[in-house]
Amino acid sequence: MNPPREKLVEMYRKMLEIRQFEEKVYELYGQNLVPGTIHLYAGQEAVAVGVCANLRREDYIVSTHRGHGHCIAKGADLKRVMAEILGKKTGYCKGKGGSMHIADFSIGILGATGVVGAGIPIAVGAGLSIKLRGTDQVVACFFGDGASNQGTFHEGINMAAIWRLPVLFVCENNLYAMGTRQSRVMLIENIAERASAYGIPGVTVDGNDVLAVYEAAEKAVERAKRGEGPTLIECKTYRHKGHSRMDPATYRPKEEVEFWLKKDPIPRFRNKLSEMNVLSEEELREIETEVSRKIEEAVKFALESPYPEPEEALKDVYA
Amino acid sequence: MREISYRDALREALREEMLRDPTVFLLGEDIGRYWGGAFKVTKGLAEEFGDERVRDTPISESAIVGAAVGAAITGMRPVAEIMFGDLTTLAMDQIANQAAKIRYMFGGQTKVPLVIRTPFGGGVNIAAHHSQCLEAWFMHVPGLQVAVPSTPYDAKGLLKTAIRNDNPVIFCEHKLLYPITGPVPEEEYTLPFGEADIKREGSDVTIVATLYMVHKALNATEKLEEEGISAEVVDPRTLVPLDKETIINSVKKTGRVVIVSEDCKTAGVSAEIAAVIAEEALDYLDAPIKRVANPDVPIPFSPPLENFVIPDENRIIEAVKQVVY
Amino acid sequence: MAVKIVMPRLSLTMKTGSVVRWYKGEGDKVEKGEPIVEVLTEKVTYDIEAPESGILRKIYAKEGDEVPVNGLLAIITKPDEPLPEIEVEKEKPKVGVKKRVLASPAAKRLAREHGIDLTQIVGTGPEGRIIEADVRRYIEEKLKYKPKVREVIPLTGIKKVSAERVARSTREAPHCTLCMEVDMTQTARLKETLDVSYTDIIVKAVAHALKEHRILNSTLEGDKIKVFEEINIGVATATPQGLVVPVVKNADKKSLSEISAEIKALAKKAREGKLEQNDVLGGTFTVTNLGMYGVEFFTPIINPPEAAILGVGKIVQKPVVEENEVKVKPMMMLSLSFDHRIVDGAPAAQFLARIKEILENPSVLSG
Repeated sequence: MNPPREKLVEMYRKMLEIRQFEEKVYELYGQNLVPGTIHLYAGQEAVAVGVCANLRREDYIVSTHRGHGHCIAKGADLKRVMAEILGKKTGYCKGKGGSMHIADFSIGILGATGVVGAGIPIAVGAGLSIKLRGTDQVVACFFGDGASNQGTFHEGINMAAIWRLPVLFVCENNLYAMGTRQSRVMLIENIAERASAYGIPGVTVDGNDVLAVYEAAEKAVERAKRGEGPTLIECKTYRHKGHSRMDPATYRPKEEVEFWLKKDPIPRFRNKLSEMNVLSEEELREIETEVSRKIEEAVKFALESPYPEPEEALKDVYA
Repeated sequence: MREISYRDALREALREEMLRDPTVFLLGEDIGRYWGGAFKVTKGLAEEFGDERVRDTPISESAIVGAAVGAAITGMRPVAEIMFGDLTTLAMDQIANQAAKIRYMFGGQTKVPLVIRTPFGGGVNIAAHHSQCLEAWFMHVPGLQVAVPSTPYDAKGLLKTAIRNDNPVIFCEHKLLYPITGPVPEEEYTLPFGEADIKREGSDVTIVATLYMVHKALNATEKLEEEGISAEVVDPRTLVPLDKETIINSVKKTGRVVIVSEDCKTAGVSAEIAAVIAEEALDYLDAPIKRVANPDVPIPFSPPLENFVIPDENRIIEAVKQVVY
Repeated sequence: MAVKIVMPRLSLTMKTGSVVRWYKGEGDKVEKGEPIVEVLTEKVTYDIEAPESGILRKIYAKEGDEVPVNGLLAIITKPDEPLPEIEVEKEKPKVGVKKRVLASPAAKRLAREHGIDLTQIVGTGPEGRIIEADVRRYIEEKLKYKPKVREVIPLTGIKKVSAERVARSTREAPHCTLCMEVDMTQTARLKETLDVSYTDIIVKAVAHALKEHRILNSTLEGDKIKVFEEINIGVATATPQGLVVPVVKNADKKSLSEISAEIKALAKKAREGKLEQNDVLGGTFTVTNLGMYGVEFFTPIINPPEAAILGVGKIVQKPVVEENEVKVKPMMMLSLSFDHRIVDGAPAAQFLARIKEILENPSVLSG
């Protein structure tokens, strides 16, 4: 049941990459190098990594405005993600997308959307495409607790259910949709319960335990590949920072924040890896150094890259 | 040449493209074997291509279009049917924010080769939610292309092109056009986007018209001919891309123009065409540009009310007379 | 106390003058009597002098501007005096302001391409709008063939003044021209003897004849013919800038030599563009000689507001019958144009005959 060693190491590395990447982006924003705003994934790494560890290059993911983590977990090039966030022409989208719209179609990242819930029907379409083409690909669709109230959630999951499409609907319940607590906008506590309304399995997992997420995702992928259809996986997790860079998140009680910070998925996993004798202290530190270096490289690349030519704004509207 | 209906011409196009390209599939409400499409356009196709490829959907316009987007960016060429053009509102985010912008937003990494087919137009007494013409909304979204065929010949040729087109296309049909017949060749053909068609040549006035209004305009020109006014009827056939050149050349020739569209006058299709003419052909106008469109009201139900709202031949004739002197 | 410099009225008929050159600039010190600006009026330039010493505070007309008589040119103030509030009279809107023409864009384009003034066209569109067909019709009717323009020369300065004067003269004075052929044998001899020009002799002859035919030395003002006391003969002179007419005053009282010297001096000044006001004003009769260009006779236009003008043609050796014999004589045509309101054909003919008489026997002129 436990994933093989290489996978575990890879998962730890990826979680670190995400955490350090987000911290770097936070820093760069403070230096006024990031246009617009950013929605940081720090704290939720276990969800993206746990799910994506079950996906191959040819599998698809659909991401959200809080999507750096999903894209990095799926294998995106840190340099090109950083460059895109800074609006440089070497970014994934030539500077036309920005933080909320990272995409890499060569590795199945079908894009992050800025409209809450809009990715769900698109993931359904990707699932439909897989079915019509007869391949064994799967789709992981990430969205938050807020999106589960959008019409697209209900339409999309229902459609995937009736057509038995190979989609993992991964709900990252971090308790808050922007500044609105989940309990203020729905009566139920576990969003996974909604799955039964569409006749599909729904599971709730500790979103800060990467192995728990991995296990739930593994089961869902196998179900999908057997042609039995979609699964709704609700991962309970928490944002370390506010909704966006400008948000001090004063609507969250201090005790709650402290409670969740203690459940930080990265130290938890680090300890687990030590306990399981998967990695020695030295090896762990080696990985940590390596990741730091990789992040620095990405930042350097992004800072040194040029901005796109103004006329670039007129291109890529039509094929 | 054989004459077939607009509806049959559309079906032929769908069928030919599905035979030609296995990535083409259809989805929509009631398009399958149980109903064959609200306007019978897809009748018989599920029987031929199977229920997987001619797929009935739940009533979920947003998910229908979203699924089309997801399929289009993963190698398929979906043709989604939205039962009435008025209901595209339910899928607006997927149409205008997702389908239209994905290529641009992601820096050209992918393309979205989907077609949304939907009927617009009034004249059948089904009131405000099932009779609108909303092409202007889609003209206004960069990334979308908009086709408005008025004849069976145009419908078949343009739909085939729309399906082969790598851009998201809003394919605007008209309820009253489905039964009308016209010449359509047996041999395969396609029609390019961005090429208008001069449906009738004339010298005294240019009438630009779309969809069903093309036919009303043509009827009007016969009466005008009796009164010694020679009218030229220009059918843009696609609104995005718009064949400005043909329209402007016609205006240069006649010096007078009447634009007829079956949508609300304010910010409608005719407003954009009028602006283009004013901007690029002002020196050739011998009279002000005239627009004939619906008044700014929802479509009413009762026949005398609906007839008052939707432009007819007489309003077109009157408009022509106001500029030909 | 601030002093205004205005466009002076330098002649009875002057309406406007133009500013040619400022000798001083804004802020410069000026001395009383110092020339500050050169103006052009009635084909003559004139220096305006500072009436007071002070600072040339502000200039209101720039070089090239046309200013009506009494129009404000500049203000001179004492060094520490502030510039007074000047109510600069706003140029009255020109009579016949260009009316807004209602025309379709296509009509305007066609009119523009053919250089047509839309106000000339009657519109047949709604509310009298001019439509393309109206312009087309106008073109067909009025403009058959327009030859291509090679060069455009604006009418300015002396040429403009001349144009206005000859137009006025033709418009107001009904011209009639009488011609007589004159035997210049004797005059030629006189010319040799005294080293004067033909023009000099003719001027003296005319002055003499005018003494006996005063009616030709007059002007019509309203309903009064005013006969002049002085006989001031203008000699039409061509210069690169245009036609000027310097005047020999009291030609009847001057000797032939004096007249000759004066005409020489005036001609020099004219060539050098140095004619003053005094040189060209006050004429009562004009002589114009086109003989040196080969012209035999012509129909000169009266120099307004004079009564007549004598045109002089070229001297041609011609066979003439004298005492029943054919002889070769130097013959010259005189062409007298006169204002038919002031004088009739007979008195004009008599005057011309007297000039002929004098020229054929010019001994009366010497001295």
